[in-house]
Amino acid sequence: MVFAVDGHLLWQVVWVSLVAGVGISALFSLVIVGAARAEDARRAGRGAAAALYFTLAVLAFALFAGGVVLGVRAMIEK
Amino acid sequence: MDQDIVLWIVVGTALAFDFTNGFHDTANAVATSISTRALSPRFAVAMAAVLNFVGAFISLEVAATIAKGIVNAELISEPIVFAGLIGAIVWNLATWYWGLPSSSSHALIGGVVGAAFVAEGAAAVYGNGIVDKVIVPALVAPLLAFVAGGLAILVAYRIVGRQRPGPVVRGFRLGQVVSASLLALSHGTNDAQKTMGIIFLALVANGSLSPDADVPIWVVVSAATAIALGTYAGGWRIIRTMGSRIIKMDPAQGFAAQGVGATVIMAASHVGFPLSTTHVISGAIMGTGAAKRVSAVRWGVAGNIVTAWVLTLPASAAVGGLTYALVALLGRDDVGPIAVSAALLVALAVTLGRRLVAGRTLTAEG
Repeated sequence: MVFAVDGHLLWQVVWVSLVAGVGISALFSLVIVGAARAEDARRAGRGAAAALYFTLAVLAFALFAGGVVLGVRAMIEK
Repeated sequence: MDQDIVLWIVVGTALAFDFTNGFHDTANAVATSISTRALSPRFAVAMAAVLNFVGAFISLEVAATIAKGIVNAELISEPIVFAGLIGAIVWNLATWYWGLPSSSSHALIGGVVGAAFVAEGAAAVYGNGIVDKVIVPALVAPLLAFVAGGLAILVAYRIVGRQRPGPVVRGFRLGQVVSASLLALSHGTNDAQKTMGIIFLALVANGSLSPDADVPIWVVVSAATAIALGTYAGGWRIIRTMGSRIIKMDPAQGFAAQGVGATVIMAASHVGFPLSTTHVISGAIMGTGAAKRVSAVRWGVAGNIVTAWVLTLPASAAVGGLTYALVALLGRDDVGPIAVSAALLVALAVTLGRRLVAGRTLTAEG
């Protein structure tokens, strides 16, 4: 009996899944933290900090949205 | 004419399997969102149903590969496909009754393997194909999702650790709407194709279509509709198990489990190593629970789920094999499939009738 499980493919699945899975959660967590702190800073009248956190939230959200688009593309093109 | 009757029985059974596939797997997309109150139950299943329907149209690369490399495709006949579908439907209904999430794809493969084994002997089944395409992915999927889910929730807790709970809970609930949508869409692109593939193969075997023809639009629409209706019907027993019986989860855990689930499924699918959605989501849920506290996972429930996964292939194979034996005994051309499907329809009607009567009695007594 010859098994055809490709070790290289398996390893690729493992590291891509770990990086993508953990990455997407980390990015969305940064969106939440950025948005929450930006709101807190704005209320406290710290404009510069609010802008900084808002930028963090927007950047993290852009990367998160990019990941979602990549996922949908992977679905369509498989 | 006889062949046409068998063809339509196979088509009807494939759509019935598609329906059970939908309601059995609703939990994969929506259980955590319902559990954390990110979505209301009715809205969640309606959204999942619509996205499953849409997903069925997105990817039309027909999964004629179901059982390819696992059984000798040249030996597959309509009665074998019919018996395999019955094996898968029975296993899906049994695991739904016990509230256990299990892979519908593995059930279908098991059913076809059992029927092919009884029909053509051991030569029809490729043992290495079962190891490569069923057993290895079944081991990899939950373990990988468990580790990824555990790491994801630890990272998420670390990042949001000192924030006020309000925005965090609202944020992760919002994220769950996105991750649930991705999972439902992904399910439609994968699972509706299996039914389309079976119907397409039956049409080719019957001589109604040439092997290089496009999938007829009625096949696409009927498969998409069956899986969407099944999803909307909602397998509430499995939703309860996945949503609240494995762990009691917070929105961060719900998002991490769903987010990891969606990314693992898509990443694996992208590199050409498809994994079971059920195994991935269940593993991710256990991982997010165990990372918080090992005792947070109800290991007894987890053990029952793993037992169901181990039994999926042999149990559906046994039912598929028995069904084929019965079909062959009664007459492979038309009498067998007609008699077996009629008997199953009568059994279904009796069961539904009893439930209806029991419901009326309870209402009258209440």
